[in-house]
Amino acid sequence: VYDWLLFLHLIAAFLIAVTAVTYSASALGASTGGPAIRVADACWNVGGIGTLVLGIWLALYVDGYEIWDGWILGAIALWLVATGAGERVRTEFAEGRDASAVHWVRTLAVLGLLVLMVWKPGA
Amino acid sequence: MTLLAAIRPDAWNLPLFLHILGAMVLVGTLALVAASLAGAWRGGSVGAIRLGFRGLLLAALPSWIVMRVAAEWLASEENLDDDPPGWVDAGYMISDTTLVLLIAATVCAGVAARRAARVEAGGRRAGRAGAGSAGLGRAVVVLVGIALAAYVVAIWAMATKPT
Repeated sequence: VYDWLLFLHLIAAFLIAVTAVTYSASALGASTGGPAIRVADACWNVGGIGTLVLGIWLALYVDGYEIWDGWILGAIALWLVATGAGERVRTEFAEGRDASAVHWVRTLAVLGLLVLMVWKPGA
Repeated sequence: MTLLAAIRPDAWNLPLFLHILGAMVLVGTLALVAASLAGAWRGGSVGAIRLGFRGLLLAALPSWIVMRVAAEWLASEENLDDDPPGWVDAGYMISDTTLVLLIAATVCAGVAARRAARVEAGGRRAGRAGAGSAGLGRAVVVLVGIALAAYVVAIWAMATKPT
């Protein structure tokens, strides 16, 4: 069970990376186009839910982790920041406004999540 | 077993972080390239082809290097480089094979971008060049698609570590 939870959790994280890379290309001035943005948004939806649900499941399943561990609570907080920023990026992008600043906030939150997942401070 | 999975020496963290970060940027870039080129499948949009080429050259190949060098560093920290287990061998095989695909895709995308630019400029053999760039664009989508499928297998191998 642990192996499959971790695999699917990683796949969900990679889907989030698809979104981060696509919007980063757009923020850097590339003409990403409609299909790539639609794929990126779909990846964000599936990856966002997947990382949260499977991450909490892993925290409950693994004996060494507790859901109230500081790094897990920090990850949930960063996930909320990334989700909020992601929603704003999507809205502003759809309205044709410059969403670069909010996008970089989201990307930093995603990077912070990766740092927490690897270093697991306090675990 | 699950407790052991949660424990990792601190020295492994930086190479692991760089390995995953490189892999994430690599997969993200390949998905972007595939989506934009597949979206331009019929039209052969110059912007999409150019994005595909630049994405492969400036993001996919460098991130492959980061992923692969960090993998070597991590294997060395874990003392897995002398007699690597099957899942590490699988990772090496997939990464090294897909490098060939990535180089081929980059070359195809570069030629396609050049031809598409010629079409846009209205060159003498614009029609033929346009058809050629569309075909090369499709080849890039196929190559990148194969690489992406291989990376899903690699992620599975890294996560489950089958013996």
